[in-house]
Amino acid sequence: MTTSTSPLVTVTPERFTLVTYDADEIGSIVRALAERIGIANPIVVEVDERTPLSKMSAVVDGSSSDATIRLRFESGALENTKALTTFGEPRARLSIGRMLVRAADRLSGRFDDAPQDTELTNPQNAAWDAYCGGRLERLDLGPVEQQYRYDFRNRFGFGDDTDAAFDRLWSADGLAWSDLPGN
Amino acid sequence: MRQFFPVEDLARDDRFVQTNMAERMRDTRSAVDVKKSKSKSRSASNRLTPERHDASDAARGLMHGIMVGEIQALEGAGRTAHDFPAGDGTGDTIPFELKLDMARQAWDEARHVEISVKLSDWMGTEIGQFQENTVLFEAACSNDPVLRLAGVNRALEGLAIDVFTQMKEFGQLAGDPFLEFCEDWMLADEVTHVKMGSDWLRKVTEKDPERRAKALEFQQVVDKLFSFGGARGESDESPIGLARRFRELAGFTDDEVDTIASMDHDALEERKAAIRRAREVAGV
Repeated sequence: MTTSTSPLVTVTPERFTLVTYDADEIGSIVRALAERIGIANPIVVEVDERTPLSKMSAVVDGSSSDATIRLRFESGALENTKALTTFGEPRARLSIGRMLVRAADRLSGRFDDAPQDTELTNPQNAAWDAYCGGRLERLDLGPVEQQYRYDFRNRFGFGDDTDAAFDRLWSADGLAWSDLPGN
Repeated sequence: MRQFFPVEDLARDDRFVQTNMAERMRDTRSAVDVKKSKSKSRSASNRLTPERHDASDAARGLMHGIMVGEIQALEGAGRTAHDFPAGDGTGDTIPFELKLDMARQAWDEARHVEISVKLSDWMGTEIGQFQENTVLFEAACSNDPVLRLAGVNRALEGLAIDVFTQMKEFGQLAGDPFLEFCEDWMLADEVTHVKMGSDWLRKVTEKDPERRAKALEFQQVVDKLFSFGGARGESDESPIGLARRFRELAGFTDDEVDTIASMDHDALEERKAAIRRAREVAGV
């Protein structure tokens, strides 16, 4: 995570019809965030505009510097929740940032034994999200910690031990897949 | 003090962004499979449970909807207590005891708003994070107090019973003690509000069957609207279920609940058809 080369970013669809999103705007946000996180790999972004849900995933084809990162978002993940079907930059930056940090984890070699994003269990997802959330906060992307904490509690239980585990993940850096709870 | 307050004049600070059903239905995306099904087999479940991958996000959105719904219910009950003069229930008058019940309901709703704000905070939601759909208050704008009882106390509060039951179960399954407890208490109030509406509607229209029929017809229109295109219904495709048992406790007959279930089903199928048409036009 040290390079400053601008990655090649492709966004599909190029033109949206069910939502008023702009592929160029999405591409420039992805490029800027990738540079901040230190990712130079080519990135393909796929947005499913047919659903308002907000599932997302990051797939990395290999671990080399030219391995393609494929980010998939349901349209709700990039949406302005105050004006449905319109693009919401703060929410989009958080969603894209979270997936890029995950991709960076996969490229680091410390997450080689992690299942594909689409095969993660709900607890595994919540634990990894908590670990990503703290780093997004330190990148000044403004995640709401309480949201991540609530997601984590929903998956690991409502209690002091759960909160302590969450705090450890939130403040951590350089963890490996085996360090995350839920595995 | 001003009477008969239009929905456009509701007081909100700049955190709130309002929308209505027409705008909402223009969104042609869908979380359900809108393809025409040839068999009776059910599509994947959309029911709001902790097992959903987006459970917390969906619960936060619904919780915000509850919070603004409580604000509108407070405004609706308060308006009904104030808008009509006390009398024997004929014309535009309402019995004084009905005013007292509406005042009590307004007090309950105010407490629900406070509880919902605290629950939203607990779940990580900011006030105004989501749009406020004003359709609930719109049902409280009728000039006939009996239609308000049908629209607000039976349709709106009936919807509240369904939503609170769903959220209570969500809290129970997720092990969230605050959510489960708070929803249970609010649910008890909503059952009382529906019962008050049912009792008063019957009493006020005792000698006026035509007015009663008109009110029940209005309730059906509002009930279908409150299905939100099938977001509530007995099908697993609907995130919010129909809380038969609590509706029964609130005074709904089996036939009435069956009618609502059937309207919910129709609303879901109509919404799917509308989305299919829109997608054909858009070519996606």
